[in-house]
Amino acid sequence: MTDNNEKVLIKGNYAIAQAAINAGCQCYFGYPITPQTEIGEYLSAEMPKLGRGYVCAESEIAAINMVVGAVSTGVRAMTTSSSLAVALMQEALSYAASDELPVVLVNVMRAGPGLGYIYPAQGDYNQSVYGGGNGDYKIIVLAPSTVQECIDLTYRAFYLAQKYRNPVILLADGLLGQMMEPACFGENPYPEVDVSSWALTGAKGRESRAIYSLGPNEKKQIQHVYNLFKKFEVIAEKETTYEEFQTEDAEIVLTAFGSMTRNIKAAMKVLRDKGIKAGCFRPITLSPFPHKRILELATEGKNFVVVEMNMGQMYKDVKYSVEGRSEVGLINRPVGEWLSVEEIVEAVEKLMEKNYAASIQYS
Amino acid sequence: METNFILAGFGGQGILLAGTILANSFMLEGKNVTWYPCYGAEMRGGTVNCEIVVSDSEVSSVHKQDTDYALVLNQQSFDKFVHRVKPGGTIVSNSTLVAEARPRTDIKYVFAPMTQIANELGNSKVANMAALGVLASVCSVVSKEYLAKGFEKVMSGKKKELLPLNIKALESGYNILAQAK
Amino acid sequence: MQQVFSIPKSMKKDFRYTFCPGCDHGVAIRLVAELLDEMNLREKAICSTSIGCSVFLYDFLDVDCVEAPHGRACASATGVKRARPDKFAFTYQGDGDFASIGLAESMHTALRGECVSAICINNTTYGMTGGQLGPTTIMGQITTTSPYGRNREYYGYPIRIAEQIALCDGTAYSARVALDTVPHINQAKQALKKAFEVQVQGLGFGFVEILSSCPTNWHMTPQEAHERVRNEMVPVFPLGVYKDVTTEKGV
Repeated sequence: MTDNNEKVLIKGNYAIAQAAINAGCQCYFGYPITPQTEIGEYLSAEMPKLGRGYVCAESEIAAINMVVGAVSTGVRAMTTSSSLAVALMQEALSYAASDELPVVLVNVMRAGPGLGYIYPAQGDYNQSVYGGGNGDYKIIVLAPSTVQECIDLTYRAFYLAQKYRNPVILLADGLLGQMMEPACFGENPYPEVDVSSWALTGAKGRESRAIYSLGPNEKKQIQHVYNLFKKFEVIAEKETTYEEFQTEDAEIVLTAFGSMTRNIKAAMKVLRDKGIKAGCFRPITLSPFPHKRILELATEGKNFVVVEMNMGQMYKDVKYSVEGRSEVGLINRPVGEWLSVEEIVEAVEKLMEKNYAASIQYS
Repeated sequence: METNFILAGFGGQGILLAGTILANSFMLEGKNVTWYPCYGAEMRGGTVNCEIVVSDSEVSSVHKQDTDYALVLNQQSFDKFVHRVKPGGTIVSNSTLVAEARPRTDIKYVFAPMTQIANELGNSKVANMAALGVLASVCSVVSKEYLAKGFEKVMSGKKKELLPLNIKALESGYNILAQAK
Repeated sequence: MQQVFSIPKSMKKDFRYTFCPGCDHGVAIRLVAELLDEMNLREKAICSTSIGCSVFLYDFLDVDCVEAPHGRACASATGVKRARPDKFAFTYQGDGDFASIGLAESMHTALRGECVSAICINNTTYGMTGGQLGPTTIMGQITTTSPYGRNREYYGYPIRIAEQIALCDGTAYSARVALDTVPHINQAKQALKKAFEVQVQGLGFGFVEILSSCPTNWHMTPQEAHERVRNEMVPVFPLGVYKDVTTEKGV
């Protein structure tokens, strides 16, 4: 990258990799899996040139635990993977959340369940937002919708992870990972985070530090979980982000996350041309989720139609958010071909007849 | 306005590179563009393809079922993608390797000997640039001048030496249909 | 008056071992602490801890510690060392952690030749959970999950860890020691020192397997337990240095 302000045509995977370098990622640990392997390949070439750490881990389990070890020393580190292999990392994510360690994990989603296939999907909303690890914990989840956002949100992921000492998942999908778009790296806009109060660097001139779960002390553990959730309330207050388009006069709000956002924006224009007052809403942070804003829109009487490539995972959160004040419909296909603009328009028209309280499932 | 393209051929014909050059040409023209490949196990069968969407505004779906233009460099790709061209759309075929046939009546057909052009220039590898030249001659959204700039952008360093030959292939492809008339 | 005993600086001042009477963990941890003092490593040491009886390490050792999930200590230590190559990264694990659930991480850390030091306590059983069959349970041994004794049909064979680790090209040092006698304790300290030195010298992976007693789960007195280490364990797990790149020594 010679000129950071030059527009380059770049794949989402490479964009994430280079953005991680720009964000000061000192160590990368990973194991190959389609459709995100280019990230590890790119960094295997770049990290040694910069004198930074790179390990081809023996498994995803090892990779994420290497990240946990590395970030405990106060440096920025990351692993990247996809869906079924991210499932293997859930134990370590629970540990990292409990131990308040700034792990950055990129999930370039593919289809599931099980082995599934390498085509893009959005089936890991629940896995990311609600987690597969044990106990009560919360992860910050960021969902980009363009290659440019793959860059911007990678910067943000490293910053938020250290700022709040909390794991962050960048939830992309195979479409974003594989496609090229013009994008600009610019400069990492976030300040350095002071980690000196907790990072493990050896007990020199200070007391020794231990980063661990407070298992045997029941009172402390109870308080610890409360503290983790209080911290997340602050995160929700300060860091919840979303985008909305033409919601002011909208009667229905198409809602999607990640790269599906592109399709609902196009569908909105078609619907508007047909005289249907449609708007768009798109959470950028899936966790913390913009419950408050959705409730506000619902209170204004706006109905929601959630469009996603899964069986209605985010749909449940939108439904929960509206608190019964408006209707929430669902347009979905579990995996495979992304719902097209035409399909979305057609389904919205069908949903209108049912006052939006239904779901249209494509095969 | 959105226009989309599918480029397809067999491995070694430089399909993904041609797509990258085309996408870069759009970017350099200041348009919104996305490039999306087939990838992973799909690529093991020998044929490759990529999809490009260019738009004045934000690009919506990346991976579409149908296309305005299909640029196909071998028979297999013709057989597969002729059915994915929108009514009124165009399939641009490499007649050196694709038999002239018109299985549908609602699309336009362009046949040009792209591999032959490349062979006559002494390097079969530039068939992809000849193909882009042909495409530019039949599609007003594609600019020959920006294709040349796109090539320069993609081919950095030592590969720049290949520029004159590739420009020749681009020009030959661009002019071939007019010459045939 | 001459001072003949003191608590190592690398031990917490107010520590109280919570191990069972006669357990060798206390001796092993003390040896580690003495070496961290003597080799001036305390102020740059970062320990990746483990799960099992070894889990309470941070209550005793006065060094920086990060917990690793069960079996992942060597992966964690890899992360620590790659992030901070100038620090001293080590693990302290049980045999279940190192050689059962964590065998992949342990062996690959050795194969990569990571400059970390790993210590594995082998007591032929899962101690923390109450004495079940583990990867090092010896043939015929009765545990709560092998009530008729370990046999080939149901359980297969135990692993000889130090020998396996010595086979890895990235291993700089691998040894097996015991803590049943004073001479053995002294030898153990020398082995640990070597495993620490190879890291400091950047030679690769340093490993020590420590044969330990577990009187509670073996249903023995401390003396009987040490006799078992001598009479039943050492014949299966012979003591010695299996690899030492500094002397090109192997067995």
